[in-house]
Amino acid sequence: MTETVIDVRDVSITLGGQPIHRNLSMSVARGEVIALIGGSGTGKSVLLREIIGLLKPQSGQIELLGQSVLDCSETQMNLLRRRIGVLFQDGALFSSLNVEDNVATPLFEHTRLPHANCRQLARLKLDMVGLEAEAARKHPSQLSGGMRKRVALARAIALDPEVLFLDEPTSGLDPISARTFDVLIRLLADSLGLTVFLVTHDLDTLFSIIDRVIVLSDARVLGSGTVEELKRIDDPWLREYFSARALGGEIAYGN
Amino acid sequence: MTVAQAYYDASQQALIASGDWHADSAVSPLSTEAARILDGAGISQLDTNGAWLLLTAANWTTGKPMPELRAFKPEQVALLELVARHSGPTAIQPSPVREGGLGLIGRGTLAAIGHVVGLVDFIGRLFVELIGLAARPGLWRWREFSTQLNAVFVGAISIVVGMLFLLGVVFAYLLGSQAQQYGASIFVVDGLLLSILREISPVIVAVLVAGRTGAAITAQIGTMKVTEEIDAITTLGLSPIAVLVVPRVLALLIALPLLVFVGDVAGILGGMLVTHQQLDISYYMFMDRVADVLNLKTLLVGIYKAPVFAIFIVLIACRMGLSVNRDARSVGEHTTSTVVQSLVAIIVLNAIFAVMFVRLGI
Repeated sequence: MTETVIDVRDVSITLGGQPIHRNLSMSVARGEVIALIGGSGTGKSVLLREIIGLLKPQSGQIELLGQSVLDCSETQMNLLRRRIGVLFQDGALFSSLNVEDNVATPLFEHTRLPHANCRQLARLKLDMVGLEAEAARKHPSQLSGGMRKRVALARAIALDPEVLFLDEPTSGLDPISARTFDVLIRLLADSLGLTVFLVTHDLDTLFSIIDRVIVLSDARVLGSGTVEELKRIDDPWLREYFSARALGGEIAYGN
Repeated sequence: MTVAQAYYDASQQALIASGDWHADSAVSPLSTEAARILDGAGISQLDTNGAWLLLTAANWTTGKPMPELRAFKPEQVALLELVARHSGPTAIQPSPVREGGLGLIGRGTLAAIGHVVGLVDFIGRLFVELIGLAARPGLWRWREFSTQLNAVFVGAISIVVGMLFLLGVVFAYLLGSQAQQYGASIFVVDGLLLSILREISPVIVAVLVAGRTGAAITAQIGTMKVTEEIDAITTLGLSPIAVLVVPRVLALLIALPLLVFVGDVAGILGGMLVTHQQLDISYYMFMDRVADVLNLKTLLVGIYKAPVFAIFIVLIACRMGLSVNRDARSVGEHTTSTVVQSLVAIIVLNAIFAVMFVRLGI
C-alpha cells in the first residue's frame, strides 16, 4: 500500500453564490504524476488553491502529506508549505528581484547555506529548466512569458519539494520547450520520488508523462484513471476533449 | 532523519558519505584534491540540492570528469549525473560598485532633467491629441469624465472641509492671541481672510489632491500598464491619452477650483467659531467685517491659482503612470515620484505667483 500524500474528502465550496465543488473527493499517492482536467470554470485552480491552503472550503476534509490543511495552525502550515512547491499560472515571480535571486529566495529563507551556495544552487535549477546563464541577472520584466514560466518552475523545485503543484505548466510555451518541460517534470518525479499534481489543458502532456488523470465536471470528480480508461467514459465533454486531438492530428498529417 | 556526514579517505582518494543529503546538509570541500571515488553506500536520502553539495564536498567542478560513483542506487546515480550535467561554471559576478555623493548628485540631476523633458514631451502629445479631439467631438469620453469628476471632487469634499476648518481654527486662534494684546481683535478677520483665501486654501487643497488623486492616477494607469490594458486600448485603435488622460485633466481642472472654494468657506467658518469663543466677536459682527474687507480680488487670486496647480498635478500623474515599467516595484516608485514632483511643483508655482502678484500690484 503506497502512502497517500493528497487526500480530499467531501469538499464543498461556494464562491460568489455559485457552487464550485459539491462533496468532491479524490486522492493522490506518493510518486504519482496526476493531471487535473476539466472545462473552464469547473474549479480546477480552486481545488489546487484549497489543497495548498490558500482557500478554505465551507465543508470537508483536506489532508496534505498526512496533515490536515484545514485544522492546522499557521506555523504548521508554513512547515508544510516548505515541503511543497507551487508554480502559479502566470509565474508570480518577485518583480523586484533578479531571476537568480527569485530562485534562491526559498533557499535564503529556509536553509542555513551561505548565500553564494544558494545562488549556485539557483543556477543549477535554472540550468535544469533550460535557461541560459545570461538570463540569471535579468529582471522578470525583461523575460518572455515562456522564460518566466521556467524561472517559476526553477523556484518551485528550489527546495526539492515532495509534492509539486503546477497550474498549467506548459501553457505559453512553444511545443518543443513544452515537451522538454514535460520530460523534465517526469525525470524529477522519478529520480526524487516527487509527487506532481498538475492542472493542464495540454493533451500532449496527458499522453506523455501522466500516470493518472482526474476529470472535474459539474462540481465533482467525473472520473479518474489513465487516458485509455477515460476514453471509455461516456461523457459529451470528454468525448469532445479527446476528439480535439484526433482532429488536430488529422489536419497536421493532411498538410 | 540522519545527519549528513562525509569523510575523505586519502588512501583510496575516496569521499565516503552517509546520511540524508539535502539543502540543509552544508558541507564544505573536504579534500584539497578532487576525490577520485564517491562512495554512497551510507546515503539514505538524496535530492538535487544534496547531490550538488555532495559533488562540492568531493571538490568536483564543472568540466572535470565525474568521480567514480560507488555503491549508489541507480536513481541516485541518475540524480548525480543530472546535477553534474546542469552545473554550469558559476562565477558569481560582483555586485555593482556603490556610487559616491558626486555620482548620486549627477544621477539626481539627470533624473530631474529627464522629468522636465518628459513632461514637456507629454504636454506636446496631449495638445496634438486635443486638437484631434476638437475636430471630432464625438470621441470625448463624457462617462469617464463624470466618473473622474465624482472621484476627484465629491470624494474629496469631506477631507477638504475637515482640514481647512481645523486650519481656520488654528490661524484664528494664533492671530487672535496676538491681536488681543493691542485691542485690535476685529482685524483678526482681515488677516484670516487674506491668509486663508490667498494662500492656505489653494496650497493645502492642491497638496491634498496631489497626495490623494495624483497618487491614485499614477497607481491606476501604472497597473493598467503592467496588466497590458494600455496595449489593449492601443490595439483597439484608441488613444490611451484620449481615453485616460484627457478626462482626468478636465476633471481635475474643474474640481480643484471648486475644492478651493469649499476650502475657503470651511476655513472662514473655523475662524468664525474661534473668534466668537476667544475674542467675543459675534457671528453677525464677523460677517459684517467680512463684507467690509473682502473684495472679489482676494477670492479670485486663490481660485485662479487652482487650475494651474491642477494641470501640473494631473500631467505629472498621468505621465508617470504611462511611463511605468512592467513590474510591481516600478508602480510604487512612480507613485512616490508623482507625489514628490507634484508637491515641488505646487510650492515652486506658489512662490512664482507670490512674486508675480506683488510685482503686478495685485
